Amino acid sequence: MTSGLGTTMVRAGRRLLSSLPALFGVLVFTFLLMRVLPGDPAVFFASGPNAGKEEIEQIRKQMGLNRSVPEQLVYYLSDIGQGNLGRSMMTGQPVLKDLRERLPASLELTFTALLIALIAAVPLGVVAALRPGSLVDHGVRLFCALGVCVPTFVSGLLLIYVFYYLLGLAPDPTGRVDVFTSLPPQRTGFLSIDFLLAGDVEGWWAACKQLILPAVSMALFVIAPLARITRASMLVSLGSDFVRTARSVGLSWHKVVITYALRNAILPVITIAGIVFSTMLGANVLVEKVFSWPGVASYALDALLSSDYAPVQGFVLLMASLFVLVNLVVDVCYGIADPRVSIE
Amino acid sequence: MRFVSFRPAACVAASAALLLLATAPSQAQTRAETLRYVTGASVNTLDPNIPGATRESFGLSMSTYDRLVAFGRKQLNGKWVFDLDKITGELAESYDVSPDALKITFHLRKDAKFQDGSPVTAEDVKWSLDRCVTAPILGKAQLLTGSLTSADQFKVIDPLTIEVTLPKPDKLALPNLATVYPMIINSKVAKEHATADDPWATAWLKEHTAGSGAYVVETFKPGEQVIIKRDEAWNRGSPDKPAFFKRVIVQSVPEPATRANLVERGDADIVVDLQASDVQSLEAKGKLKVVSTPQYNAITFVSMNNQIPPFDNVNVRRAIAFALPYDDMFKAALFGRGAPLFGASWPDGKPLNGIYPFQAPVKIDLEKAREYLKAAGLPEGFSTTFSFNVGQASTAEPMAALVKESLAKIGIKVDIQKLPDAQMSTQINEKKLPLFTEGIVAWLPSTDYFYRNFYTGNQRWNYSSTNNPELAAIAQEARFELDKAKYEEDGRKLNAIHFSEMPQIPLWQPNQDAVMAPSIEGYTYEFHRQVDYRDVSRK
Repeated sequence: MTSGLGTTMVRAGRRLLSSLPALFGVLVFTFLLMRVLPGDPAVFFASGPNAGKEEIEQIRKQMGLNRSVPEQLVYYLSDIGQGNLGRSMMTGQPVLKDLRERLPASLELTFTALLIALIAAVPLGVVAALRPGSLVDHGVRLFCALGVCVPTFVSGLLLIYVFYYLLGLAPDPTGRVDVFTSLPPQRTGFLSIDFLLAGDVEGWWAACKQLILPAVSMALFVIAPLARITRASMLVSLGSDFVRTARSVGLSWHKVVITYALRNAILPVITIAGIVFSTMLGANVLVEKVFSWPGVASYALDALLSSDYAPVQGFVLLMASLFVLVNLVVDVCYGIADPRVSIE
Repeated sequence: MRFVSFRPAACVAASAALLLLATAPSQAQTRAETLRYVTGASVNTLDPNIPGATRESFGLSMSTYDRLVAFGRKQLNGKWVFDLDKITGELAESYDVSPDALKITFHLRKDAKFQDGSPVTAEDVKWSLDRCVTAPILGKAQLLTGSLTSADQFKVIDPLTIEVTLPKPDKLALPNLATVYPMIINSKVAKEHATADDPWATAWLKEHTAGSGAYVVETFKPGEQVIIKRDEAWNRGSPDKPAFFKRVIVQSVPEPATRANLVERGDADIVVDLQASDVQSLEAKGKLKVVSTPQYNAITFVSMNNQIPPFDNVNVRRAIAFALPYDDMFKAALFGRGAPLFGASWPDGKPLNGIYPFQAPVKIDLEKAREYLKAAGLPEGFSTTFSFNVGQASTAEPMAALVKESLAKIGIKVDIQKLPDAQMSTQINEKKLPLFTEGIVAWLPSTDYFYRNFYTGNQRWNYSSTNNPELAAIAQEARFELDKAKYEEDGRKLNAIHFSEMPQIPLWQPNQDAVMAPSIEGYTYEFHRQVDYRDVSRK
């Protein structure tokens, strides 16, 4: 077992090393892309009522834009090497600090949404697969289609309208916690965990209440792919020889469906969940906007609109690294779950 | 069906539903003493002087710092607005202007203290004003418009007296000292954080405050929220400007529909940046207080680049001015919420007064527009683009469609260009856009200020890139004109030139729609177009 774990680690390390060139490529590509895009950030930020040429030059100097592009790239790379992602003009803070504060918010939201999606999607997929072509199957299909059809910001606004505006059940959709609640000391950055660690149950409730609506509106969107994959792989699995054998030897329904069929069918679902997670993290910008969620995606969008280079570059780098990491975790999990899988 | 292995999941779902149902009406009594202000943008620096500072940062700094003087307020059509002509003392107890208007002496309040308890002295005032005109910050360009350019102009007479000398009798010198930038900083504290590279402590002041303002910053999360609490020792409030609220929460809520929901549900107390359609429906419901003030220091234009053909021809510009469907645009873009700058009648063909912005005698008249095009030698029309920025899409998009439709009737083919904000400002700065819509704001809305800043020079704010020596000369002369009648005469001349040259077409002054809980009182439209938290109170 230890040697198995050892080889997994070695494999993971090698994998990580081989992803470095890709990360470097992403770094340079984003850097160049931002500079090719039309729009001069200095002009945009020098938009005070009286800002003239002098102010524009001043900002250009401050952002290092008065140097040539290759020179800027060298400076940028050496900064990255020292762990400095630059400073955002928009928030006035170092990008690293902004991302460190905002990433937990995005991660917490995405994890919760993925959890809700999985909890809903797997049973739905299984039920649909057990009675293919039945009314239940069509019902699930309809539900999934609806979830995918309605864009997340529409479902978000609808949920707010119903649960906050009409019924008054949900708290106001403004960020991670009610403004009147004092925050717990920061440990993990995940408010739901930090509150528990601080022993503040009331705060924990407040944080969870804020989390539910945005997480549900994000989950609705990704239930479809997860449920469809579960259904498809359940169908394959239910039709396979080992299930037929299990049934023929008279095992209980529960044992056949859950233990044998579902366990074998769940692997592709995990893979898809990994991919869905990475996409959600970057693509949840609309949900973040609607719920004023202080996450990384809305941060990056604002930066992009105002041509604020450093945050956009930092965000893309973060996303690329996360993508590498998630893939690595999925691969490693795969290897551990099924030793026949080799990721050489 | 039984799914034993999913039972924990069901538990999570059930408890989640429970959480949603539980509402906690906590801290009710402090809520009444707290002002919750929601806005689409966010405070990005505690020092409004930092390049890139947002309007929300300007608004916040009014409460965290004091200035020497402040604007009074007046009623305009039954609504409170700032009064450029009434300058009251803030840190200054009183001020004297010498007869030749070249010296202004400020007498500081004896009891004024910084938030750390140390007294406000003339030394602090000098350091702060020096910083404003010397450091590479936004205040420099602003104070320039009031002939305040050098540290030599500020002289400490004694610990409570400071004298400002002017090279010329500039009417805008005093009002400039009431604007956002020349705030008074605790120089002892700031100097402790100054470095050799940064002698004016700009980096430190971006994230910290060292002022004497009505509110102390409690938490500052750029891009999310700022919470400030009242400085109980603050006493600069005049009877009509007390600081009522114990705490103020300034929170960013990017989605306008959510802001509307928040204020309607009573969770937010005041918001000034809702979409016109939301304001309309909230006003119709009648539950909330809506104070709509035409932004009398702001103008929305259709601008033409006077240097690019065919807009270098005055007849083409006039043709456009008579081919715009003003009323339809006003309704589609703003739901009529604003003050129109079109459709006036000038009986003798001359400007009614010398005030800019003025309501011009333009209306849609396609026959006239066609004649002007013919006179320009372009009877068949031409093709051009009409640009606006994404940030203004909610008003500019319907407007653009109407412009396109109407100009097509006189043979001008228009392509609509929607540009990201940074790209739009770059193109304007480089003078590359032929036809576009943009807006301007002047903090000190006097006629000569508008003409000098927005109609002269090769600079960004001269949207139309007009270069009219006569206009420039009159505007420059009016700046130092102390005789009111002569100033009025200059204003009339400038307005007449504007109408005949038609460098760009002023459309309207959009309303600032402040939507607030019925219990909020005292809201005043301020020059920085944000809520001054010291103005408002709760019944």
